[in-house]
Amino acid sequence: MGTILQLLISGIAMGFIYALVAIEYTLIWNSTGLLNFSHDKIITVGAYIFAATFIVKMNMNKPLAIVLTFMLMGILGAVIASGIFNPLRHMRSNIFAVMGTMMLGRILAEAIRLIFGPVPFTIDNWLSGTIRIGTLMVTKANVIICVVAILVVIALQLFMNFTKVGKAMRCVAQNKKAAALMGINVAQNICITTAISAIICSVIGMLIIPLFNISTTMAASIGLKGFSAGVIGGFGYLPGAILGGLFIGVVENLAVAVLPAVYKDIVSFVLLIIFLLVRPSGFLGKKA
Amino acid sequence: MKIKLKPLHYAIATLALAAFLPFFITNDYYMMLLNRVLINIIVVLGLNFITGLTGQMNLGTAGIFALGAYSSALFTKYTNLSPWLGLVTAIIMGVLIGRGLGYPSLRVKGVYLSLTTIGFGEVVRLLIANTPKLTGGTQGVRNIRPYHIGSYQFQTQKEMYYLFLVFTAIAFFCAWRIACSKWGRIFKSLRDNAEAVEMSGVDIASCKIKAFTVASIFGTVAGAMYAHYMGYINPSTFNLDLSTNYVIMLMVGGLGSVTGTIFGSAVVTILPEMLRFLGNYYQIVFCSIILLGAIFFPDGWVSAVTVLFKKVYQRAAKGHYAEGGE
Repeated sequence: MGTILQLLISGIAMGFIYALVAIEYTLIWNSTGLLNFSHDKIITVGAYIFAATFIVKMNMNKPLAIVLTFMLMGILGAVIASGIFNPLRHMRSNIFAVMGTMMLGRILAEAIRLIFGPVPFTIDNWLSGTIRIGTLMVTKANVIICVVAILVVIALQLFMNFTKVGKAMRCVAQNKKAAALMGINVAQNICITTAISAIICSVIGMLIIPLFNISTTMAASIGLKGFSAGVIGGFGYLPGAILGGLFIGVVENLAVAVLPAVYKDIVSFVLLIIFLLVRPSGFLGKKA
Repeated sequence: MKIKLKPLHYAIATLALAAFLPFFITNDYYMMLLNRVLINIIVVLGLNFITGLTGQMNLGTAGIFALGAYSSALFTKYTNLSPWLGLVTAIIMGVLIGRGLGYPSLRVKGVYLSLTTIGFGEVVRLLIANTPKLTGGTQGVRNIRPYHIGSYQFQTQKEMYYLFLVFTAIAFFCAWRIACSKWGRIFKSLRDNAEAVEMSGVDIASCKIKAFTVASIFGTVAGAMYAHYMGYINPSTFNLDLSTNYVIMLMVGGLGSVTGTIFGSAVVTILPEMLRFLGNYYQIVFCSIILLGAIFFPDGWVSAVTVLFKKVYQRAAKGHYAEGGE
């Protein structure tokens, strides 16, 4: 029973990570109609800027480093949106868009390797330690992941529902032509959305530092599993993304109790394929 | 008498050119690159049916390729039979994959299909890596026998090259004829307007499955060739990057163009090696070139050049006409 609970807790924490990944690319999908295949690399860039530049090289204190990382990532997101997503959005086949974002991912990965070097590293005293609840040992990282993820979701909901920019984002997601007619600058709005998405990416990057080492491929697996999470919950629908992420995280971790541990990584893809065949609209999605 | 050049003449000329190529290349490494180009051409010819003609995004090519390589390699390893029978196993595997992958493509479209195929590729890679008893796991399969005819073994790069040239020529001929046939026309129309095709009384479902089956057979055959050519395979080769590379080759050659696949495979295989002089920066330069290509020449580089030539030619012709008028 103890191990099951332990697995459940780490599953929920991983689930929140997948949920954040799903939210981050769903935002871009909704506003541009592009699936951002470079999102795992943007997560990695966030982690590197935070850990390598601000913490290791400049020895900054952590709250300041977090704020500066957010600002830099926001700028990066806006640049990517205006330089790459906006031209790709108008392509006649989605194949070019997919390839374009994949190439962007490779360019980012190469840039990381050239700037920061290929050697994986980690930083000390960052989300480390454990908390004891009754007989359960919970790592601090897992608790913080859950809390931060919930805060991000709440903040995003408030932003989308109560600010003018957020409302404009929802309009653009629904109907670009109508949004443009209502006087919303669609291209600019896409820049803002991508910037927010990039900031969420950097949050994910910081959160997964204690789980994986900081390396160029640190986010590759959560990037792909995030896609599964989005589909399972209902593609393009934010509450669905959260539900899908939690579902995958929990099922994947509980599967360890039944299946050999090496098959853990396969679970999410098998779930993805099953869902696409049986219920492509996911848990909460509308019937396609 | 004016001789009209037909596609067949072009094909024979290209083949002759390709046959003489090894005489000018003494470096074994360049020969290896050429062999890789030939293998990649076959994969991309197959991918062209799904992604180029039918317009279904397939990002699971590495999975198909891996299954072809592993089925042939493991078959020859366990039964000790000829690699040619391994090729047959690979083709059977291709038919099975095509049926299996074609079926989901009936239900899901666009991004969903790219996600399904990514899932397929990842599952194949992880399964191969995690069943060490059958596949050798991450250690891979060693000492795969090369192809032979009778007692004659194809061992050096040049011998392999001629063998693969024959393979590629056959594959190219098949792909070209299929693209020109009734199937090819249906595939193209499926990409342009699936409803209209259905209205004309064509069974869309079976056609999509056909497209996937043909593509998987090309992919698995190329995989088998790769396994017996390299002599060693391991699952880390067959990752998402490989699948992406095949789609890039297709895109550089021009979606849906059969002849473009040769150009695309050659460019994407050889260009990174040409850029090696850039040292650490070669990969980033290569990716940037491809990204700019995707944004500015979405019809492939060949068509970008031909469009340019046509414009120049038209301008020249116009000038000529104007002079003639005076």
